[in-house]
Amino acid sequence: MRKYVCSVCGYDYDEKDGDKSQGIAPGTRFLDLPEDWVCPICGADKSMFELEGGDEPAPAFAQPAANESVKGKNQDMKQRAIMISNLAKAASKQHNAPMASLCARIGAYFEQRNEASGDMKTAHQLLNEDISTRYIAAFNAAREAGDRGALRALTWGEKVTKIQANIINRYQKDGDKAFENDKIFVCEACGFIFVGEEAPEICPVCKVPRFKFNQVKRGA
Amino acid sequence: MKAVRNIRLCTKDCLCLFVCPTGATNTDDGQIDASRCLDACRACVDACPSGAISKVPFNFPPQQPKEEAVCAALSTLLDAKARQEAAMDAVISAPASPVQAQLAQALKQSIRIVAEDMLRESGFMLPQGAPAKAFLRGLLQEDLGADFPRDAVEALLEALQ
Repeated sequence: MRKYVCSVCGYDYDEKDGDKSQGIAPGTRFLDLPEDWVCPICGADKSMFELEGGDEPAPAFAQPAANESVKGKNQDMKQRAIMISNLAKAASKQHNAPMASLCARIGAYFEQRNEASGDMKTAHQLLNEDISTRYIAAFNAAREAGDRGALRALTWGEKVTKIQANIINRYQKDGDKAFENDKIFVCEACGFIFVGEEAPEICPVCKVPRFKFNQVKRGA
Repeated sequence: MKAVRNIRLCTKDCLCLFVCPTGATNTDDGQIDASRCLDACRACVDACPSGAISKVPFNFPPQQPKEEAVCAALSTLLDAKARQEAAMDAVISAPASPVQAQLAQALKQSIRIVAEDMLRESGFMLPQGAPAKAFLRGLLQEDLGADFPRDAVEALLEALQ
């Protein structure tokens, strides 16, 4: 009997115990779980699980891709929009309403000028590249520098990126029907996306309570 | 320091009203009146049974220095996140179905939150920090057109002095 760990939230699937919540009998091998079985804590699918005590994934090549430094005007506008929305959030957290509203005015300019480009497939590919190269390079840099703050952000970011890629993957495979009976919630602290009936009591990635989840409604 | 109230945690036990020596906590907008809040007083913070009140400084300390290699690695991630978000914008503008639009909306929010976190850890934790101010000053050097709200950037920089 072996154990498999969810790479997003750390839940242990112990073959000895099965998963009562989804009617999986004790002694069920991980490989025999139905394809639509998901992590009972965070909803990640089977592909996100790793054998406990198994080999660490080989450190992939950590150089950013060659085209990384090529930035279109579009990205510059988007990056600035993100820059400003981050400052706006910090101002709100400081309860500094005048500062937050100045940020909002500047942010609106960049948000409007950003030109949309790409599709689900483009995003999926970029997310997978993040997981296979960019996060690895960034983890190495942060470890080298002993930067605990960056390591924390990378730990959350990598998990959330895996969930994002996983969701697009499910959508590409099964289309609307994989989601049409569920609600979608986003953790406003770390970005974790939960698909299901009700947001988890505690975010499996960053541990904030349920009230920090925003529901993203259909047709809104 | 000024006292601030987290309205999501406030359970309206009103102990802050009982203990405030200046009436700063008694307002009609749910917030605490910073102009009447006493710098060194923390009576409401200690009295609040739900931990909804905290004291926030007017001036923040300088931020922790960040190594260039860390910032560079986080910036390649930020670049990718920006492109992912632009892809979600494209899906949202012409969705194949309501479910796809909803997913793209959720992904866009999620991607933005992750990207902002990358920025926070590359020196942009606070608007008061030197990197944020340098970024804002840089915007004033650029030719961003007549409808760019220069006055807002100038006012923001002024407020950050």
